[in-house]
Amino acid sequence: MRNEISSFVIADPTKCVGCRTCELACFTVHNSKNETRYTVGTVKTPVIPRLFLVKDEDFAMPVQCRHCEDAPCANSCPVNAIKKADNAIVVDEKLCIGCKTCILACPFGALELLPEYNEAQEVQQYGLEEPKKIAYKCDLCSKMDGYACIEACPKDALSLVEPALDKKTKNLKAALSILETMKNL
Amino acid sequence: MAVLIDQELCTGCKMCSDVCPVDAISGDAGKPQSIDENKCVLCGQCVQMCSSFASVFDEEIEPIEKKLSDRKMLKGIKEPLFAAYYDNNIHKVVDILNDKNQFSVVQCAPAVRVAIAEDFGMDLGSLTPGKMAAALRKLGFDRVYDTNFSADLTIMEEGTELIERVTKNEKLPMFTSCCPAWVKYMEQSHPEYLDHLSTCKSPQQMAGAIFKTYGAKLDNKSAKDIASVSIMPCTCKSFESERKEMNSSGERDVDVVLTTRELAYLIKEMDIDFVNLQEENFDQPLGNYTGAGNIFGVTGGVMEAAIRTGYELITNQPIDSVDVLAVRGNKNFSESIIKVGDLELKVAVVAGLKNVEPIIEAMKNGKADYHFVEVMTCPEGCISGGGQPKVLLPKHKPMAYENRISGTYQHDSESKLRKSHENPAIKKLYKDFLKNPLGHKSHELLHTKYYSRKDK
Repeated sequence: MRNEISSFVIADPTKCVGCRTCELACFTVHNSKNETRYTVGTVKTPVIPRLFLVKDEDFAMPVQCRHCEDAPCANSCPVNAIKKADNAIVVDEKLCIGCKTCILACPFGALELLPEYNEAQEVQQYGLEEPKKIAYKCDLCSKMDGYACIEACPKDALSLVEPALDKKTKNLKAALSILETMKNL
Repeated sequence: MAVLIDQELCTGCKMCSDVCPVDAISGDAGKPQSIDENKCVLCGQCVQMCSSFASVFDEEIEPIEKKLSDRKMLKGIKEPLFAAYYDNNIHKVVDILNDKNQFSVVQCAPAVRVAIAEDFGMDLGSLTPGKMAAALRKLGFDRVYDTNFSADLTIMEEGTELIERVTKNEKLPMFTSCCPAWVKYMEQSHPEYLDHLSTCKSPQQMAGAIFKTYGAKLDNKSAKDIASVSIMPCTCKSFESERKEMNSSGERDVDVVLTTRELAYLIKEMDIDFVNLQEENFDQPLGNYTGAGNIFGVTGGVMEAAIRTGYELITNQPIDSVDVLAVRGNKNFSESIIKVGDLELKVAVVAGLKNVEPIIEAMKNGKADYHFVEVMTCPEGCISGGGQPKVLLPKHKPMAYENRISGTYQHDSESKLRKSHENPAIKKLYKDFLKNPLGHKSHELLHTKYYSRKDK
């Protein structure tokens, strides 16, 4: 069996300046259905990103989904709205009932429950006169070219970790280092 | 008008201070930044750069409604608010449009027509002068005039001024004076060279002075009956209109300035379907323009327009190629020699205020060997101005600039008339009213003085 391990995006807090460009980029590429196009003037809904800037006195960095291999969010979702697709853990917005179990389960706080929008209008619940809320999380820009947050970061603070490749690269480095050591013995 | 930073929203990323051409923004990294009003030239590049928006997750910030009101923005605005911003003038325009006793005239800068459609979801750089004119008429302006008309007028005055200075060999190099941020910068940083600035007012202010004098007569009005509004890609144009000397009509020449973005807010507020508007023309005669007036919106454009006219005024021959490619391009700095009859005109074009310092240094050493230098504060001229639609993704910014530039040149190349001195409305204005470029009336209405701000 091929060992397919999901990739994930991670921020380097020593490079991140907290500018929120990644959040804005994430929102932009996920909201063409809400008429968001090239400029701020086309934004008609609140900016809902799928990665979340954490800022303290001394550091800043966005936190986002790790696309866990034993994903607590997916495993705990009572309606099976969270699935693995194209090697990423994604929320099926149509199925999500906003029960918040995933929020309780995720150790990173990588999901947020916020109103759903369609064609720039807040989606309403069928019965209750309340906006329908759904879980938002990183989908690794599925069905899109590239990764919006990584591309947009002006400080190159974000990168895609591909665990299998990462391991191979480290193995190779270790091997080369041993080789050098042996040669010099 | 001021450019400000919201202390609650600023994360201290310092991206704005990196882009500020005059080092007016300071503060520790990670802490809210602040702007030194005396240094700031109001170019608004920080507003374009800032990505620190009011997040729905920030529970500790003031309500958005309060922020909208503090920023004098319309209540219905849905777009996110960012830390770097400018106060809106939009309510003043709403008041003008609601006051039936005022005769309202409006002008639009060249760069607005290649950008405003972006805020209605159209492609970057869409060229929409006809929809823009239609929208302004629908908003209720009595006359939809154009800054492109007065850009042609600027060329008549500035071209003649250049020829005079070159002939007399005095106060050279002559600098363009249509960028108010550049003018403010000279006043505060290099007042000793103020006499090198062309004495010409900017196209906005020339239009303002003409609308309330010649234009007033055309409609049997007096200057005080007219409310003059201008739509600019620029956050510094409002400052320019507020300068105390800008009242040659006897009234304030330009009453209110809106940015491109503010006009988009107003059009949305009035429920005008911009994308599907039928194209309309500008009102005549003060909305008549040539391709030369239109290219003021891009870096090198004022230079090219001046060369098209200057060449023909000096040589009495038609210029070989209307497209003066030597002065085009989006480089920070370029220089070229243009053969004008026997004269070798040495010109330079500066885009981005920071890039002017080498020329100032050369002047100090007596080595600035140019006749004419165009300076624009914003990185690629007015199409990249601080009041233009704000692009969401960094990767789309170069595309936005490129498309706005090509739209500008397309509009020029498709114009029947492409030289300012061939504009029939300009010819008539001189014949009936101004008489000659640099004449008495021109001096009264179209030229200005500059003041040192160094001691302030």
